[in-house]
Amino acid sequence: MGIETRGETVYRGIAWSAFACSANTAAVDVKDGKIIRIRPLHYDEVSTEEQRKPWRIEARGKVFEPGKKTLLPPLSLTYKKRIYSPNRVLFPMKRVDWDPNGERNPQNRGLSKYERISWDEATTLIASEIKRIHDTYGPLAIMCQADGHGETKVVHAPHGAQAMMLELCGGYTLQARQPDSWEGWYWGAKHMWGMDPVGMQVNQRNLYKDVCEHGDAVLYWGCDLETTPWGWGGQQPSRMAYFLEELGLKSFFVSPDLNYTGACHRGKWIPVLPNTDAALQLAIAYVWITEGTYYKEYVESHTVGFDWFEYYVLGNEDGVPKTPKWAEEKCGVPSYTIKAFARYWAKHAVSIAHADGGGMIRSPFSHEPARLEIVLLAMQGLGRPGTGQLHMIEFGQFGFDEWNPMPRSEKYFEVPGAYHGWMETIGRQNFFPKTMTPQALTLPEGEKLRWYGHVVCTAPRADQFVPFEFPADGAPMIHMVVSDSPSWTTCWNGGYSMQEALRNERVETIVMQHPWFENDTAFADIILPVNTMFEEKDVAVDNWSGQFNMMYIQDDCIEPLGESKSDYECAIEVAKKLERYGGPYENLVQRYTQGKTVDEWIEAGFESAQADSLMTYDEFAEKKMCLAPTADGWEDDPVALRAWYDDPASQPLSTPTRKIEIYSTGLAEHFPDDTERPIVPHWIEETEEHKERISSDRAVNYPFLMVTNHPRWRVHSEHDDVTWMREIRTCKVEGPDGYLYEPVWMNPVDAGKLGLEDGDVVRVYNERGSVLGGMYVNERIMPGAVYQDHGARVDPIVTGKCGLDRGGANNLICPTATTSKNAAGEATNGFLVNVEKVDVFSLAEEYPEQFGREYDPSDGLRVSAWLVDGQ
Amino acid sequence: MKVFVFDLDACNGCHNCQVACKDEHCATNWLPYAEEQPDTGQFWCKVDEEVCGRVPHVRVNYLPHLCNHCDNAPCIVAAPEAVYKREDGIVIIDPRAAHDPEALVASCPYGAIFWNKELGIAQKCTGCAHLLDDGWAEPRCVDSCCTGALRFGNEEDFAEEIARAEVLIPEAGTAPRVYYLNKPKRFIAATIVDIEADEVVEDAMVTLQRIIDDEVVAEVRTDELGDVWLENLEPDRYRMRVSKEGYLDLHQEFDLSEKDRSVPEMRLYRVPAAV
Repeated sequence: MGIETRGETVYRGIAWSAFACSANTAAVDVKDGKIIRIRPLHYDEVSTEEQRKPWRIEARGKVFEPGKKTLLPPLSLTYKKRIYSPNRVLFPMKRVDWDPNGERNPQNRGLSKYERISWDEATTLIASEIKRIHDTYGPLAIMCQADGHGETKVVHAPHGAQAMMLELCGGYTLQARQPDSWEGWYWGAKHMWGMDPVGMQVNQRNLYKDVCEHGDAVLYWGCDLETTPWGWGGQQPSRMAYFLEELGLKSFFVSPDLNYTGACHRGKWIPVLPNTDAALQLAIAYVWITEGTYYKEYVESHTVGFDWFEYYVLGNEDGVPKTPKWAEEKCGVPSYTIKAFARYWAKHAVSIAHADGGGMIRSPFSHEPARLEIVLLAMQGLGRPGTGQLHMIEFGQFGFDEWNPMPRSEKYFEVPGAYHGWMETIGRQNFFPKTMTPQALTLPEGEKLRWYGHVVCTAPRADQFVPFEFPADGAPMIHMVVSDSPSWTTCWNGGYSMQEALRNERVETIVMQHPWFENDTAFADIILPVNTMFEEKDVAVDNWSGQFNMMYIQDDCIEPLGESKSDYECAIEVAKKLERYGGPYENLVQRYTQGKTVDEWIEAGFESAQADSLMTYDEFAEKKMCLAPTADGWEDDPVALRAWYDDPASQPLSTPTRKIEIYSTGLAEHFPDDTERPIVPHWIEETEEHKERISSDRAVNYPFLMVTNHPRWRVHSEHDDVTWMREIRTCKVEGPDGYLYEPVWMNPVDAGKLGLEDGDVVRVYNERGSVLGGMYVNERIMPGAVYQDHGARVDPIVTGKCGLDRGGANNLICPTATTSKNAAGEATNGFLVNVEKVDVFSLAEEYPEQFGREYDPSDGLRVSAWLVDGQ
Repeated sequence: MKVFVFDLDACNGCHNCQVACKDEHCATNWLPYAEEQPDTGQFWCKVDEEVCGRVPHVRVNYLPHLCNHCDNAPCIVAAPEAVYKREDGIVIIDPRAAHDPEALVASCPYGAIFWNKELGIAQKCTGCAHLLDDGWAEPRCVDSCCTGALRFGNEEDFAEEIARAEVLIPEAGTAPRVYYLNKPKRFIAATIVDIEADEVVEDAMVTLQRIIDDEVVAEVRTDELGDVWLENLEPDRYRMRVSKEGYLDLHQEFDLSEKDRSVPEMRLYRVPAAV
């Protein structure tokens, strides 16, 4: 009784790095304008094994191979639900009480509702506002928020399309985005070992093979390779970890929570209180120094300034030896475990694995644990067989193939010729760090905001010594915001301050464009409906799977929903209206589009990829798929830092001394008096800006340290409306009112003390405000710590400072200050909170309007809740 | 005849199987094989999870489960006109045949059958028979699995694994066609510590005896971190002895009948020096 089950298959990357690079290549079966299924791509569908030349890693009698299909995360498999979400913005909207010719009511942003308007009205309004702002204050009075993680698109780039257009008619001020998942490496480790631009061990060549062959253990230090690679890399890191186990390597999981890696891989969990890793690291060094179990000769030949570090560790500087007992009090790891762990490490070939994120690298002073990790690796002879800092995500990022621990591909595809997205910050003068946006928007007239560096993830080490200020001399304050990434409050530091800043009277107009009504969109004056990647034809590259690299044409699968258009098309529509004003806007559409069709842009992308040795454009246009084989001779590539280990002069680092600078000479020269990021890494107890320790006075009122990992079932704040995720045990907790709350993990010991039980709705709070959550009492979180993934969708009850959020978007209560005074990174993890049970029914009585918003537990809040008469 | 083989050691808990099933079967009907699966609340394939032990000795067990496509299927007995077994072993509830959904739900000892009240029918996993009959190699849940934890194929090709596998609720006697490898049993874990010396105790001998018959079920030494993990234990009562030269023997009883046991800090004391 067979039936026809197939459709037309479209190969499509379903990922959310946003930039023109990703993985998660899926086969999408489409029939009669409907998406039937999203499934892994089987490489045999598009190539032969001879073409692919699959690599084989052979170690200890076992074999690891790339696999025969792409390794999609559930985020990709469920994407149908995101495309057809009842929360899609399907037509242009305007805030009802925003009148550009009268009262603008900025104080009502986040409160008032919206009405449907036509595309013509919306774009006419936006163009006239741009023109007015340009004429009144100058182009730099417009801030572009054009960054972050969104759907990965190229021609239709999700972030920066509007900025590129504004660049052609006078420019704008850019909100410059930091490396939000590797702040500590960026602001700290780079000063110790260079490794530009990331600050992690960027030479990874054949490191995985080396660890397979020679390693004894891997420390997954805050690393959750079962979560963070999902958004744009898939699940190969999971297979890699399983293979290491199969080879007999021991795994350690060092984090306050038994994260999703520790949950499924077998090993030793060392629970450490949030953002106290530096204390643990110092105590390990203390054991090695006092027991003489580190590579003394290596430290002498490969590093600079170890004596300063030793002096500090032994307590000669401050009278406090950094003993395991000293550390135990701070980090919660028993001193006997610290000693045993240190001794194990000293006897074995140990690597440390990361996959972006991990609490310590996103916390206050994150440059300290980052630098201390490099010290520890150096003390154990970093680069000797089986040791390294193993990067289990984003293989070959930035297009340099040594930034990939897996066998090298013949080609790393890049398609800049087709890309309309986010622009480099480097070289730009008119910008401010994303971590300081609330301060920039509310800066008193006549004052300046000051920081160091362009802060963007590709900037080199020395860029951090360059001082900047906002506004630049003669430049205006910000009077208009144009955003294609309305999720600041769910991803950055001090979200309630941002909500407040968006209501600032000086910000006359806020335009946002986004596919869904979520998070910061409720603060917009005008909203443009953006379509999803499935609704447009585009080109894509897949370099990060750890399997095979590919470049392909992705046809549109369905018609755009409602009146939605791509970000690129939105910019064109606004440009059309701007053209009417002539002058700097003359011929804007032609200048912006270069008169090219989407197909022509794809061709330009192909040309820029320089893949002629693999196929011609005509072949590409016909086959739509270009797969690169494994590079011949990859096995012979020299292993990562092996030459450095053998002779540091043969493979010098990019630091001024060409060695590992435990005494960071760059910091000594430029910031000699900085006690928050001192020349030699230290334990920083607290500062004026960050009192986020259990020793701090604030801990009397807020005794728990908060873990806010990158979320398991979302990419930052995306996917929170996917019905099939929300019914997973660890995704949401149903409250007594039927609302699905963001889980708050608490150890039974703490829950017992507070009288809390599974399913209770609690308020997680500090003096910055409160967010609600649903209790999940369990043993995956250590006592003293509270866990809630970041990025839950904002559901505002009270907005602004001391606000209350029902959704559980805990970035709202993060510190507002940056990593430290000279490091403008985000500090969004490891901060103090308290937790108490709330009665949702009395809250609902107190806030009937907010609790009465249209809501369906299966998908959450809906856009109709924000429309007058619920259109 | 087809079988499913789940290796729980390889399951990373990603839930791909659960959501891929929904991607295939929600909002799309595959008649005559299946009507649409409700969007939420019912699971033709579901991953359960449990957290076992205490900080810092904690394990998370994931258990994917679906219809067992039993050879001795109670649902076929309950509604022979509506439920049938195919030649490849897959059990199908015919969505068009009249049946009492409540009775079918009640007939399944595995809770694998759901009552779709909107359509007034009982539903469950079809093994993606509509795909198999159209030439696809595997059901969606298996195709979406990244780690090889879920596999599907001919019984004879899995003979070696089936021989060491187990089924869920064997006492139900339904002859399931879904097999599990490495299904965890109970564990005892502890870190053995010499608290006076502030050191873990490495290389201590840990002996575990079953109380009912004194049988020694495990004999292992603590590792370099002072840890001992005794796994794959039946839910029973046990007596543990920890011994190391120079230390007083430590005896402790454990009741695993309800749950796993963890001792974050098990203290061993030195033999007092002679006075």
